[in-house]
Amino acid sequence: MQGAPGGGMGPGLSPVDRRMLLVCSFILAAALGQMNFTGHQVLRILAKNEKQLSLLRDLEGLKPQKVDFWRGPARPSLPVDMRVPFSELKDVKAYLEAHGLAYRIMIKDIQVLLDQEREAMAKSRRLERSTSSFSYSSYHTLEEIYSWMDNLVTEHSDIVSKIQIGHSFENRSILVLKFSTGGSQRPAIWMDTGIHSREWITHATGIWTAKKIVNEYGKDRILTNILKSMDIFVEIVSNPDGFAFTHSMNRLWRKNKCNRPGVFCIGVDLNRNWRSGFGGNGSNDNPCSETYRGPYPHSEPEVAAIVDFITAHGNIKALISIHSYSQMLMYPYGHLLEPVSNQEELYNLAKDAVQALYKVHGIKYIYGSVSTTLYVASGITVDWAYDSGIKYAFSFELRDTGRYGFLLPATEIIPTAQEMWMAIQTIMKHTLNHPY
Amino acid sequence: MQPRWQLLPAPGPGGPRPTAPMLALLLLLALQGAAAAPAGSAGSTGSEHSGWRQDAELQSGLLQQAARAALHFFNFRAGSPSALRVVSAVQQGRAWVNSKKERKVDLVFTTERYNPEEGEERLGKCSARVFFRNEKPRPAINVTCTRFVEKSKRQQEDYLLYKHMKQLKTPLEVVSIPDSHGHIDPSLRPIWELAFLGGSYVMWEKTTQFSHYYMAQLSSLKQWKTNDNAIDFDYTVLLHEFPTQEIIPCRIHLVWYPGKPLKVKYHCHGLQTPEEASGIEEGSAVAPTELSNF
Repeated sequence: MQGAPGGGMGPGLSPVDRRMLLVCSFILAAALGQMNFTGHQVLRILAKNEKQLSLLRDLEGLKPQKVDFWRGPARPSLPVDMRVPFSELKDVKAYLEAHGLAYRIMIKDIQVLLDQEREAMAKSRRLERSTSSFSYSSYHTLEEIYSWMDNLVTEHSDIVSKIQIGHSFENRSILVLKFSTGGSQRPAIWMDTGIHSREWITHATGIWTAKKIVNEYGKDRILTNILKSMDIFVEIVSNPDGFAFTHSMNRLWRKNKCNRPGVFCIGVDLNRNWRSGFGGNGSNDNPCSETYRGPYPHSEPEVAAIVDFITAHGNIKALISIHSYSQMLMYPYGHLLEPVSNQEELYNLAKDAVQALYKVHGIKYIYGSVSTTLYVASGITVDWAYDSGIKYAFSFELRDTGRYGFLLPATEIIPTAQEMWMAIQTIMKHTLNHPY
Repeated sequence: MQPRWQLLPAPGPGGPRPTAPMLALLLLLALQGAAAAPAGSAGSTGSEHSGWRQDAELQSGLLQQAARAALHFFNFRAGSPSALRVVSAVQQGRAWVNSKKERKVDLVFTTERYNPEEGEERLGKCSARVFFRNEKPRPAINVTCTRFVEKSKRQQEDYLLYKHMKQLKTPLEVVSIPDSHGHIDPSLRPIWELAFLGGSYVMWEKTTQFSHYYMAQLSSLKQWKTNDNAIDFDYTVLLHEFPTQEIIPCRIHLVWYPGKPLKVKYHCHGLQTPEEASGIEEGSAVAPTELSNF
């Protein structure tokens, strides 16, 4: 946007104000679809003397209603800014040249400027300036979420930081929020949402939960205790490409956006790409399938990023992977029907978590292993986590049970997140009290 | 030899214990079942014990499957968009399996209104017998439900819905209900309910012992005029399929007039592979006497 024209006091409004007023009214008019300023230009003319000034005033008379002065002919040596419609450009320029009036083009195409401004205004409306003015009961775009993350880190830099753990297939940043009160490589809890991009309630729940953590630190006894000796990692948009696609083109897109040469269909199911039981019955080798496992384990950058991070960290003690929908809390295995070695402990923990969840809004979740509760699924996150030594690996399927499914009304975001919080807290507390 | 009754309480966080009226209902069902020959169930006509054995490893998933299928069928046959129901909880069930791996499921489950009114928490109750023909779709269903909306009220609401539809501009073209944020404009809700009614027929016909469906979104709609004042909808729904997670677009054509049986034709698309032309299914409103084809 051009800098404000310098100096000078005309009658009435200052030149800057007048210009802004005009720009704003143009925007309003354009927005209301009344006028289009494509090709219109703003010319800046320097009149050397009174004679030239009067020539300019004459021009207005010659082209009534056609040219208008944004900065009128006042005194010599003061620039005159004049809007000229596209259709008049040739005539007006010829006139100026014929009379020796020097001019330059200040704005080459007003419409372009208007469009840019309108977009910027809309953008700044959406990108909130703080996490307090952010709407937690709405669904957001990727840009809005990433902007909110930056705000969260800025406002609570004492306990939150942002880590980039990799890049998606389409080269978007993969970001993780770290909640920590200090220490080094403390035992930690990992939470991810949005591995399946159409499950919008999960990102929304992750956002609310992150905000809850910063709000409750220092106030809630259980959380404060947890953060005394443990860290919490939250990855909110685990599949940024897929998520962007659900906004732009296909609200029901599930997979990532990987596009391999010679492969007819796009995308790998990021929850079938993990190295545990990879390639089994509960996944598909057809690239066009929604449960396509990918060419080999961890082939997808979104999965590899998490694997690399957790492996390098070496001290993750609990992993919670969040999906929707079905209202379930599950533990490994997905690829086997056989129970894991600490099945009884996980069963009891799940039971407690679900009970705590139920107390909030009376919503019933069922619980058990993935394979016996939902279906056999191979190459899933929690199986890999468990096989990597993370004893407390849980997978949630949030609200609802099919009435709205993926298109869960935004009014259910906060209630869902509130009940989830109690379940997560139960799991985190158990992890804290059972070090290994 | 009579198959031994074994009342299996529904697994998962506990449901209510069977009550005396419930046992009576079950006994009635048992007696009915012993006599009736359910339509369309290949391989088990007449007698109860021709090859059926108790399904010892009854999984909770099977009861949920049966409840969903039964309710899709019930909603379709009731033909009332203002009285649609969803499964609330399975209370009890038992299953038998035969040598062809077909399963017969008897169950009792509660229902809620699909579109509950503010603060309404009434539950209805249904009992059903569902025959799954192994991997084949279109389970045979006998289902009865307690009435939980009075007939006159239901007829009134259907008629209001009908009138509302008639007032909409025709041809009406609508895209995406609900929208991406799960919102359905109140003025468009009747459209969604009627679409769901037609979708119920499709979902019943496509359900197998292992696959089930939910209606994810109405992605396009055209309303046509009819000579006899019926509502004529031509629309596409996106069905969400378990366990494959696929989104299946189904083009549905329905004709509805309050109180009259619903007429439905549909065509669903298969997986997004170039060769998958053969995965297409066709169906039409079929069989039982009160329904008629186009």
